[in-house]
Amino acid sequence: MSELERAWSVEKTTIRAHARCLVRLPSDQLKIVELRPGGSISLGKFGAFFVDDVLGHKYGQTFEIVDDKKVIPVPGMTYTGSKDAEDDTAAAESADSAVADDLIRLALKSGVNNQEIQDLGAEVQKLSNADIEEMKKQGSSGQIGQAIIDKIIQGHDSFEKKTVFSQQKYLKRKQQKFLRRFTIDYLGASQVLQYYYGKDPGRVLDLSEESLGIMMNYANIMPGGNYLLVDETGGVILYAMLERMQGKGRVTVVHENEHPNHIVLNNSIFSAEAVDDMVKTINILNFFEPEVVVPWKELPEEEIEEYKPSKKQTYFRRKKRALELQTVVEIVKKGNFDGMIYASTLSPSTAVPRFIEKIGGSRPIVVYSPYIEVVSELSHTVSKDLRVLAPSIIATRVRPYQTIPGRIHPLMSMRGGGGYVFWGTRVFPKEGITAIGRGRKKKKLNSEEPVEV
Amino acid sequence: MSFLGYKSIIEEGDLVLAFIGRDSIKPINVKAGEILNTRYGAFPHDIMIGSKYGAQVSGSKGFGFIHLLYPTPELWSISLPHRTQIVYTPDSSYIVQRLGITAGSRVIEAGTGSGSFSHALARTVNETGKLFTYEFHESRYLEAKKEFEDHHLPNFIITHRDVCENGFDIIQNDETVDVSADSVFLDLPSPWTAIPRLKSVVAKGKRIGICCFSPCIEQVLKTVEALEAEGWTGIEMVEVAGRKWEARKDMVRTLDDALDRLRDVKRRQLEGIEKVKLIRAQRDNTPVESADVEVSSGSKREATEEADSEEPISKKARGFNPWGRGIRVREGDEAYQWFNVTRGEGEVKSHTSYLTFAHYLNFDDE
Repeated sequence: MSELERAWSVEKTTIRAHARCLVRLPSDQLKIVELRPGGSISLGKFGAFFVDDVLGHKYGQTFEIVDDKKVIPVPGMTYTGSKDAEDDTAAAESADSAVADDLIRLALKSGVNNQEIQDLGAEVQKLSNADIEEMKKQGSSGQIGQAIIDKIIQGHDSFEKKTVFSQQKYLKRKQQKFLRRFTIDYLGASQVLQYYYGKDPGRVLDLSEESLGIMMNYANIMPGGNYLLVDETGGVILYAMLERMQGKGRVTVVHENEHPNHIVLNNSIFSAEAVDDMVKTINILNFFEPEVVVPWKELPEEEIEEYKPSKKQTYFRRKKRALELQTVVEIVKKGNFDGMIYASTLSPSTAVPRFIEKIGGSRPIVVYSPYIEVVSELSHTVSKDLRVLAPSIIATRVRPYQTIPGRIHPLMSMRGGGGYVFWGTRVFPKEGITAIGRGRKKKKLNSEEPVEV
Repeated sequence: MSFLGYKSIIEEGDLVLAFIGRDSIKPINVKAGEILNTRYGAFPHDIMIGSKYGAQVSGSKGFGFIHLLYPTPELWSISLPHRTQIVYTPDSSYIVQRLGITAGSRVIEAGTGSGSFSHALARTVNETGKLFTYEFHESRYLEAKKEFEDHHLPNFIITHRDVCENGFDIIQNDETVDVSADSVFLDLPSPWTAIPRLKSVVAKGKRIGICCFSPCIEQVLKTVEALEAEGWTGIEMVEVAGRKWEARKDMVRTLDDALDRLRDVKRRQLEGIEKVKLIRAQRDNTPVESADVEVSSGSKREATEEADSEEPISKKARGFNPWGRGIRVREGDEAYQWFNVTRGEGEVKSHTSYLTFAHYLNFDDE
């Protein structure tokens, strides 16, 4: 395996030391963490865990904090049934049947409907907040969470009047609050997006997983491609491209500041060397006016030898950067990119037409915006530009369902938005071509200007 | 030419997607001496050889044109010959993204159908990955097999098989092929009968993703029950809705112009009446009674645009004609005011299928 191949061979199966991964908490909160061997990771109110305990397990595994930071693998987030959870990993019962089992374990009755339920507010619960806090202090073992939930149910006056469905929902809510469990997931592009979207949708331009997916497909992202990218999502789109390309090809990122913002890559599964090798960055000024780039002037060796160590270091750093920029300028000069993805608040209708010359024949142009007006304006701008074939605007929206047999229905609420995707193909118009159709007679009489079919 | 990479110049033997119109993309295998006939004229293959992908070429008579496009799975899905209902890009791209399929993934697809999704999968898993696709209908299997070979897809195994009856194991040269799939896509009438047969072909010591694609809610119900019974978790069903728009222009018609037009109509009516009266009076030699109706100030903009047109002026186009009635106005004509709009498709796909996702923690006996 070559150095580069090793840099790109991302472990997707087993949880290894130093990996960056996604931690899912019972409350559906997400964390991105680095697994430093010997260390421990805090999960806020759910406790903390020793990193060494999770190493060697598989991505997708759920753990329970049993004793001060010690963890054991359990089959699932809401699983409670058997005591020998450790040997029972693959039993992997579905969340809902596990909840149902729990109700059976507590040997409780259920109501037929909500006729007998009175709204008494906090009065139905005999257990006070102070009681719960007291119990929490009694220990950090995983059993405490379960014990609290059992007590809460026993202290609930009208729990047995609830229907089975409503009991299950109640139990699930309490489990999300009190169980000290977490799942470690592989940090793919979808997970990265989910994490940053959860922090602030605006930071990722309101991008949805389905929009990201359709952009990857329309832009025909694959290993070996030579792509152009403008990415204002902090690098989520770049992350998705790198994930699909798996170490082969190149992404030239054009940015509008001194340095690109790739905050997402600071905590990623990709090594810094691998990213450096595949990702080239250049700002818009150097991109559009490469003549402003001053070629590097090598100083005589004797002169450098006389430099102080710190000055020498600066010299070599500047040299490296200048040569890198020179390489990117050459790449841009050559053009013929295998497509472009553009996702920036810098108005696409002013920018995209300027990029078109650099895109190779029959290669896709994909533009993302959270607003239809923005992509629509671009679409109007290029509708007269014969270099873009069949421009269209696509919106894709996923509607999630409550997926419980007998109770299947769309969820009451889902995220709005998700953005709009412009898709067109770069073509080379031929001069003096006349379309067949109603314009032809007129054209013969008037001009040679081509018209679209 | 390959769906797994790019090239710039068209050579003999290459696949070219001839873009005739938005709804008409024709796949052609370029061969010297052959001719592509379209409703916009005839295009000899000889002019394609040596030209760039993306080039616009005119017909042999000098007018009419097509564009020569490089085949991508997304363009292919618009142009391919339909043997069955296909999985469209909004669905297929979401499935790929959600299951985390990338270069190097090993994917099971059953059935192959028209091979639309197969192309997108083959592209994404690329040379380091593998696509295992199954089709139970013999002629569809044969057509798909030939198509994948013609398209030089190097990374697939297609099997003629009813997976619901006979499972997914593949024997080649008396040896069992190591499938070890990490993602599964089932587009079958009864996925619940195939789900119990997956155990031997999914990768060991891994989290496996599945998507079952069914149009009916009854199928979803049975699928969910089978997934639960087989130990799959994180079961969630979703629907994907894709919508498309095109940039268009809608004429801006103002109230003031509408008022002026009516005033003009009225003025011309009165003028007509006066004229008729005058003619009658002249004929009968009787004195003319003057009209006691006020005549409007007249038109700001007479129908002058069509003066140099070849077309005859229709009755509607007479007088004050602010919106070009009765004459042909091209969308976006600079003589008029336009509003930039986005127009949705006339008919949308309101339901393709339900997508049931789940995963299986296959952590046993690695």
